[in-house]
Amino acid sequence: MTQAVPASLRKDTRGSPPFAKVLVANRGEIALRVIRACRELGIATVAVYSDADATAGHVRAADEVVRIGPPPPTESYLRIDAIVDAAVRTGAEAVHPGYGFLAERAGFARAVAAAGLRFVGPSAEAIESLGDKLRARRLARGVGVPVVPGTLEPAPVSDRQELAGLEATAAEIGFPLLVKAAAGGGGRGMRRVRALEDLADALLAGSAEAASAFGDGAVYLEREITPARHIEVQLLGDAHGTIVALGERDCSLQRRHQKLVEEAPAPGLTPAERTELHAMAVRLGQAAGLENAATCEFLRDPEGRVWFLEVNTRLQVEHGVTELVSGVDIVREQLRIAAGEPMAEATVAAASRAADPGSHAIEVRLSAEDPGNAFVPTPGTVGVWRMPAGPGVRVDTAIEAGDPVPPDYDNLIAKILVHASDRDAAIDRLGRALGEVAVSGVQTTLPFHRFVAGSAAFRAGDLSTGWVDEHWSSATATAARDAAADAARLVAALAAEGVRTPAANPPRDGPGASPWRLAGRRAAIDRWPR
Amino acid sequence: MTTWRIEDVAGGVPVDVAIPEGAELAPVGRIEAVLRQPSSPPRTVLLGPARPEGAGHLREVVVDGWRFELAVSDAGRAALRERATREQAGAAGGGPLRVRAVIPGRVVAIAVAPGDLVTAGEPMLIIEAMKMQNELRAPRDGTIGEIAVTAGSTVERGDLLLVLT
Repeated sequence: MTQAVPASLRKDTRGSPPFAKVLVANRGEIALRVIRACRELGIATVAVYSDADATAGHVRAADEVVRIGPPPPTESYLRIDAIVDAAVRTGAEAVHPGYGFLAERAGFARAVAAAGLRFVGPSAEAIESLGDKLRARRLARGVGVPVVPGTLEPAPVSDRQELAGLEATAAEIGFPLLVKAAAGGGGRGMRRVRALEDLADALLAGSAEAASAFGDGAVYLEREITPARHIEVQLLGDAHGTIVALGERDCSLQRRHQKLVEEAPAPGLTPAERTELHAMAVRLGQAAGLENAATCEFLRDPEGRVWFLEVNTRLQVEHGVTELVSGVDIVREQLRIAAGEPMAEATVAAASRAADPGSHAIEVRLSAEDPGNAFVPTPGTVGVWRMPAGPGVRVDTAIEAGDPVPPDYDNLIAKILVHASDRDAAIDRLGRALGEVAVSGVQTTLPFHRFVAGSAAFRAGDLSTGWVDEHWSSATATAARDAAADAARLVAALAAEGVRTPAANPPRDGPGASPWRLAGRRAAIDRWPR
Repeated sequence: MTTWRIEDVAGGVPVDVAIPEGAELAPVGRIEAVLRQPSSPPRTVLLGPARPEGAGHLREVVVDGWRFELAVSDAGRAALRERATREQAGAAGGGPLRVRAVIPGRVVAIAVAPGDLVTAGEPMLIIEAMKMQNELRAPRDGTIGEIAVTAGSTVERGDLLLVLT
């Protein structure tokens, strides 16, 4: 399947593909994204799959496939031994972890290296030092990057007496504050503390939860910045000491720490503010000896002050918006960099334009979730699957009509991205693109995304991490669903009566009765499901 | 024209729908139809095939991105059937309640057995979907009749779980 491209014609590779074969240790849209980059570089691909994914999109796309176990992630996509073994047996030279699963496990990066293969991502040491949020906070402070006010050492949770010593510090930080897990992620181990008397209990409960979730009970205190925007900087570094920021993304629209909408650049920032933010991220990356792709997350308050939050040492779900505005193929660069090649000149040039990128991109995460019922997961089987197309639209998905959405994994089913000259045009394009989407079989977050595209508050750039709860309340969601339910019942009643041919009432939605349209409808009626 | 009794299998009370004057559904292509009503703009909807169930049929309808699994039956006949069931069950009864899955997933535990007496709010079974456990509680007092699933069963939204009499 891999095409033979005359290697000498490529400008950004040293005459041959960076690797002959790469194993992609992931599933779904991100596995397909990596396979696409490999194919463009002339790299053969190996997909791994669980029994739930035997016919999934990433399996259909790869050159070779290896089964790694039953559906539960702990028995398949999280099995370091099985994945490394598959890579060795297929003769892969490198492993790309995607995001999630093993992407930020230092032990995985180490096992890949121990097998004599390249890990496409930061080194195990960088994953370890940046993955520990307390170490990352100390590192940031050391290079003059402001961190969210709070503590820099683990709380002494083993001794209630000593914990009392934290009370003065907590009062200084101010309430409400957050207890966070050093090894944390996805809100686990996190507790919100409203008053001093709740502090000790929150620290102990957070620590216990972190210990069971991550095997590390270290917790610390951090001021709750609210309202705040979530802004992150895309970093890319090579093995020759070059490290650049490719621009920032605003990912403020979140629910339960899950991002729903992301855009680049972050609206409302001046080029000077962007330059400063990017420089902070680069300083941090340099201090950590970062290679390959990583993301530096910040919070920004309404006064424009920014604070370092954490570093993600992997490709982000939302990397595509940065690709669209910067013109850099981040996954291609990841693969080249992992093979020891220097960063492409075009990438360095794009980084120099990152403070004033001159276009705008927005991504929405279409998920199998019910936006009318607290975004509960809605696994099932996709029936109709129509994705948007046309100018400035990119869709990253591994789903086709008839595919299952297994209950065992993340419920992201497609990333819909739009790119336009400015933010207003991008929002117009997003509304148009989402109007083209049609999915049956599973409930998706489409109604929420259409709401965002039509929202005046979103268009005004009035963003914060509380946006979703504020604007998409359960009353709003229920009202939207109820209005649709009224129409749906009428549709079901009309269908039960038997579909009436439109011949008696000529179509009113086009310029006259086009014979093409009438012929099409006659054909459609013949196939109509009764 | 008939009045149709339409029930959202995900929950809620059945609604009787009489088709208003001037409403029509025009098919467009293989999967879509345009709903026209006299005083509102036309709306494109997705319409699945009718799948026979009981005395009526089930049908999937997607409107504005919202997906509905609707049970459709003839309202007049449904009313007759209900009256017959009520009379059979006696004054205190209230008729059997068919409890359906509100979300798709895997049944991980069943806390009741046929013949058990349950009170409103008592946990009956747990469905796990995407790592979240969802406890299903008895909507009212009653006796467990048939249980249509076993621990480990995979269920789709709208599937019958058990009958409460």
